[in-house]
Amino acid sequence: MIETALNRILQPGGITPVYQPLFRVRGESIEMHGVECLSRGPKGTNFESATVMFEYVRLKREESLVDRACIAAAFRGASMLPKALHLGVNVHASTLGRDHGFIDFLKATAAATGIDLPRITIEIVEHAPPWDGVSFLSSLSQLRQLGMHIALDDVGLGQSNFKMLLDAQPDYLKVDRYFIENCADDPRRRAVIAALEQLATNFGAELIAEGVTSHEDAQCMQELGVTLMQGFHFAEPVTAEELVAVCA
Amino acid sequence: MLSEAVQPGQARILIVDDEELIVIAMRKYFAGMGYVVDAAHELEEAQALLTHRNYDLVIADLRLTGIGGVEGLQIVADVHQRCPNTRVILLSAFGTPEIERESYNRGADAFLHKPKAMMEIASVAMNLLEQR
Repeated sequence: MIETALNRILQPGGITPVYQPLFRVRGESIEMHGVECLSRGPKGTNFESATVMFEYVRLKREESLVDRACIAAAFRGASMLPKALHLGVNVHASTLGRDHGFIDFLKATAAATGIDLPRITIEIVEHAPPWDGVSFLSSLSQLRQLGMHIALDDVGLGQSNFKMLLDAQPDYLKVDRYFIENCADDPRRRAVIAALEQLATNFGAELIAEGVTSHEDAQCMQELGVTLMQGFHFAEPVTAEELVAVCA
Repeated sequence: MLSEAVQPGQARILIVDDEELIVIAMRKYFAGMGYVVDAAHELEEAQALLTHRNYDLVIADLRLTGIGGVEGLQIVADVHQRCPNTRVILLSAFGTPEIERESYNRGADAFLHKPKAMMEIASVAMNLLEQR
């Protein structure tokens, strides 16, 4: 068999999970709400960059295989984390629409690693419509019945559009860092975030600010009513072992 | 592994070849000349890198894994779609006059027949980079 990059990503140890802490910030009170599970590809390759790895995976049309590998790696590491922490995992919309065994896989992997399903938030990454809309919606319905939460990733960019908002009825909208960075100095960015916050409220959802890198931007978020935040201002992605040490 | 940031005036090169020994040799040679070098072993890996960052020059073997002949010329369009000013050198061990002609028609800056001494490839590369 030809040793392709995909084989290297999928082989045991090919994916290294790291965890980006997500905080609930209210005034001076900062509590860790959960983590977003992130993936890094094989060490010493171009795929250590998640951006390059997932672009490659989408070009190979193997999102489902790699989504499964990332979740398996993430849950193995997360099994040692405090049970109060919520776990966000990224899943391509195409995986939910096309991989008919995905939810059984998710249940089995969670069970094997001792992770309760209501702790899990499925963060929908949408890059390649059209997918099978009926299967996609059916998958979302099953996820909800199992107690899992739904988030839309990269809101404001690309394919995370209003149609997806209507179809997915998410519990969380994750606003891309493009809108968050330097929002304290930019009234136009604040206007976008305020509009999204109003939209989320009307949908019964909650906004999550990604890429918060400064105290000023974190303050700005609170003024706009956004209290769930992640970004380097609070914490960088860390390994499960590092997170356990911090939480101890 | 992805290369680090370039210094002002420093050129970034992407090598696309499915033969690991060639990749290692070219990476070492061009890095030794002061260029910042990335390498890809598949067309999709190259496309992912081209989406991620800009390159001044792409040196690609036409016979990538699973792709040969005219189909391999897709790399030229991929490069120019993402980075219109990037120079492209194509290498081929099996290039026919038709494929060579088609390469230039599609916007390749140079077409070199393998095997070619590293010095000759480097000479063409330097000329193209100086013309930027």
